Amino acid sequence: MNRLNVTLSQGSWGGSALRRFSRSTAAMLLCVVVVGYVALGIASSGSFFEGPSVRVFLQYLATPILIGLAQMVALCVGQLNLAVGALGGFTACLMGVLMADHGVPAGVTVIVGLLTATAIGLATGVAIVGTQINGFIVTLATMTILLGAQYRLTGTRTVDGYSRTLRDFGTAAPLNIPLVFVTALVAAALLAAFMYRTVAGRRLLAAGGNPLAARLSGISTDRQIVAAHTLSGLLIGVAAVTATASLPGVNRSVGGDWLLPSFAAPIIGGVALTGGSIAVLGTVLAAFVTRLIDAARAQFSLDPSWVNLLIGLVVLGTVAGGRLHQTRLEKSATTDGAVLPQTGGAQ
Amino acid sequence: MSGTVLLECEDLVKVFPGVRALDGVGLRLTAGSVHALLGENGAGKSTLIKVLTGVHSPDGGRLTWNGQQVHLRSPLEATRTGIGVVHQERNLIPDFSVAENITLQNPPSHRGLVDREAMTAPAVACLAELGVDLDPQRPVRELSVAQQQLVEIAKALYTESRVLLLDEPTASLSPQETERLFEVIRRLAARGACVVFVSHKLEEVFEVCDTVTVLRDGKSVLESSPLADHTHDDIVGLMVGRAHAATEMRPRTVDHTATPTLVLDKVSTAGGHRDISLEVRPGEIVGLYGLVGAGRSELVKAVLGLDRITGGEVRVHGSPVRITSPRQALHEYGIGYVTENRKEEGVFLEQPIVRNITVTVWKRLAKALGFVSAREERDVAQDLVDRLGIRVTGLGQNAGELSGGNQQKVSLAKWLAADTKLLVIDEPTVGVDVRTKRAFHELIWDLARDGLPILLISSDLAEMVTLADRIVVMTDHRIRGELDNDRDYDRMSGRVIRLIHDRDAVRS
Repeated sequence: MNRLNVTLSQGSWGGSALRRFSRSTAAMLLCVVVVGYVALGIASSGSFFEGPSVRVFLQYLATPILIGLAQMVALCVGQLNLAVGALGGFTACLMGVLMADHGVPAGVTVIVGLLTATAIGLATGVAIVGTQINGFIVTLATMTILLGAQYRLTGTRTVDGYSRTLRDFGTAAPLNIPLVFVTALVAAALLAAFMYRTVAGRRLLAAGGNPLAARLSGISTDRQIVAAHTLSGLLIGVAAVTATASLPGVNRSVGGDWLLPSFAAPIIGGVALTGGSIAVLGTVLAAFVTRLIDAARAQFSLDPSWVNLLIGLVVLGTVAGGRLHQTRLEKSATTDGAVLPQTGGAQ
Repeated sequence: MSGTVLLECEDLVKVFPGVRALDGVGLRLTAGSVHALLGENGAGKSTLIKVLTGVHSPDGGRLTWNGQQVHLRSPLEATRTGIGVVHQERNLIPDFSVAENITLQNPPSHRGLVDREAMTAPAVACLAELGVDLDPQRPVRELSVAQQQLVEIAKALYTESRVLLLDEPTASLSPQETERLFEVIRRLAARGACVVFVSHKLEEVFEVCDTVTVLRDGKSVLESSPLADHTHDDIVGLMVGRAHAATEMRPRTVDHTATPTLVLDKVSTAGGHRDISLEVRPGEIVGLYGLVGAGRSELVKAVLGLDRITGGEVRVHGSPVRITSPRQALHEYGIGYVTENRKEEGVFLEQPIVRNITVTVWKRLAKALGFVSAREERDVAQDLVDRLGIRVTGLGQNAGELSGGNQQKVSLAKWLAADTKLLVIDEPTVGVDVRTKRAFHELIWDLARDGLPILLISSDLAEMVTLADRIVVMTDHRIRGELDNDRDYDRMSGRVIRLIHDRDAVRS
C-alpha cells in the first residue's frame, strides 16, 4: 500500500498531490479501513490483531483485489466486463485439470493459465471492436460460453489432487503476510505504474476520458478497447492463480460470486462508470472494506445475507456521495462562468 | 516569407444526409496573414474547418498544401502536415493535467514511459505565450470554462502549426484574455504562419484580421479578399444575403389587449441570466435574437424547469407558476419546446414517425391499463403529416432516415399533436436548404395566424425580420432591448446590430 502511495505522490508536485489525496475517496476509505479494523479488534478483545487472524483476513483479500482491478481496467475505457467471474472460474478449472489429470507441472500451468486468460480477453476486445456490438452484450456472451466450458472441464466433481507447489504458494505466509496477498499488491503497484507512467496507459485513459478528443489527437479508441480487455483478462488470470492456490479445490462454482464484487470495488473506490478515471489505491481499499464487512459477519456470527445488504448500501452510499460532490463542484463552476461574461459586458 | 500560399482549396463539396453542408467553397490561406472566416450559423464554417483538419473527408474539390495536392485522411495527418486547430467543441481529457492535455498530441516519453518533467516546460511555455498563469499539474476538470478554452489554445500552439484554425476561440474569454490572444495571433502571423479566425463578433474580426472569406448556405460568397476593402455593413450584408428578406405572407394582426400567454418578469436563473422580462400574446411571434452563447436556449430551458430560476416571476395565462419539468410544462400549461438540437433532443431517430409524433399525446390516447390504440395513433400522425407536408414513404419509416428539414417538421408535429397553448421554437431552420426554410416560415406564420403564441429563437436575422412581430435582443445573458419589427430588412438589421454592439447607448 505504501508503494502505491509513493507512485501517486511522486515528483515535484508532492505537496499538492498530498493535499488532493486528503480530499479523495481513497483517503476516506483508508480511514474506514483503519477504524473498522480497530473496532473489530476491540470487539474481538484483541484476537483480531493476532497473527493467524491477520493471515486469514489477508489470504482471502487477494482475489477480490485482483478482480476489482480487472473490472477497473475495463471501466476506464468506458467498457464493462461481465465475464470477470466466468473467465476466472474457467481459468482456475483449466489449471486444476491440467495439473491433476495431466500432471503438468505448476510453473507451466500458471503460465498457460495466464496466457489463456489474456488471449480470451484479447479475443473479447477484438470481437467488440470488430463487430461494433456493445461490450455489455459481447462480454455477456463470453460469460455464458465460458460458464459452459468450465462445466465441461470439471462436470460436477471438485478437482483437488493438484500440485503441492501451488498449494504451498497459496498457504505460505512469512510474517503472517500471505504470498497471494503480496502478489495482488504487486499486481496493483505494477498496474498503477502502467496507468500513471507509461504512454500506453495514458492512451487508455485518454480514450476513456474523452473519446473524441483522443481520436483528434491521433489515438485509436478501438485499439484502446482491445488493450483494456486484454489487460483485464491478464488480471483475471492472476486472480485465478491466487484462487486456485488458496482454495482447497476447484469446481464449477469457482468464480460464480466474483462478478458483483468486481464492480463494487472500483465503484466504491471512486472509479466513474463513464470511463477516463482510475483509482488503483481506492479499488484496493474498497476490497479491504468489503472484506472487513465479511470478517465482521464471521466475528459476530451474523446472517450471511447481512454482508450483501451492507455491501449494497456502501455501493449506493459512495455513488450518491460522489454525485453530491460533483453537483456541488458544478455549481461553483457555474458561478465562476457567470461572473466572467458579466465583466465582459461592462467593458 | 509572407505572401506564399500555404493551403488552398477549390470547389470543396461536403454532403451530409439531407443537406449540402459545403457546396463549392474556395479558400486561399497565405503565410503571414490572419484570415477571417465568417458566416451565419449553419453556413458551413465548422464543416469547412473539419474538412481542412482531416475530421471529415470532402466529397468533391481539391486541397493543396504548398502547391501540392493533399488528402487529409485523419486529424493526425493534418497535424503532421502542419495544420493545427482549436475546435468549437471541448477537446480536453478531464482527468488529465493541464500539461498532459497540452502535450497530448505528442507526449514527451522515454522508452514508453511518460516523462512528466519534460512535459511541464513546453506546457508552461505555451501558457506563458498566452500570458496565462496556471498550475500545469492541475487536472483540467477543476478549471473554469475560460481557463479550459485557454488550455485548448495552448494545446494548438504546442503543435507549432503553419496554419492554425481557431473556431470561435473567444466565445468564453474575457476582454483582457481576448486581447492577449490577439497579440499571440499577430505574433504568429509575423513569424510566417497563417491564422484562420472564426468569430461571430465583427469588432474582433476587424481588429485582428486582414483577409476575409464569407460563407453563406455552404458557398463562399466572398473569397480571400482584403478586409480593408469592406465595411462592417458590407460584411453583414454578405453574410445574411439581402435577397430573401422581403417575403409576402398573409396579413396577421395581434390583439394587444389580450392577456399575455407567457410573461417573464425580472427573471434571473442559476445559469447567469439577470433581469429578464418579456411577454408573448396569443397569435404573436416574439423573436429572441442573439449570437451563439448569448443564453437564449438556456433561458427557455430554465423556464421549462431544466435549470433553476433564482429570482423574478413566470406567469402563464396571467397566474404565477413554478414549472419544475418539461413534462409539467406540457401537460399542465401546454408549453411545447421544439429544440434546436433535433438530432439529439428533438426526435427519436431509431423510432418510426408515428411514434415520434404521438409521444406527447399517449396520455390522452391511452385507454384502460395504458393501452394505446394503434389506429388512433396513426390517425393523429397522418393528420399532422398531411398538414405539415412532411415527405415520408410511410408512417412506419424511421425518423432518422428523413432529411434535416423533415426531421424538424416531425419534431414540430409532435407538439402540435399535443394541442399546445404556447410553442417555443429554437433555431428552426439551421442547416436546412432555402426552399425548406421558406416552407417552414410559412408554417410558423400560419400557426400564429390561427392564434398560437410563438416564442422564436433564432440567430438568423433575416428569419427574425420575416417572422417576428417584436424582436427581443439578448447578449451575455441579458436583454439589451426590444424592437417592434417593421419588416424592412435593412432598417431592422441595422437597429438590431446596433443594439448588440452599442451596449452602453442602449443602457442609458
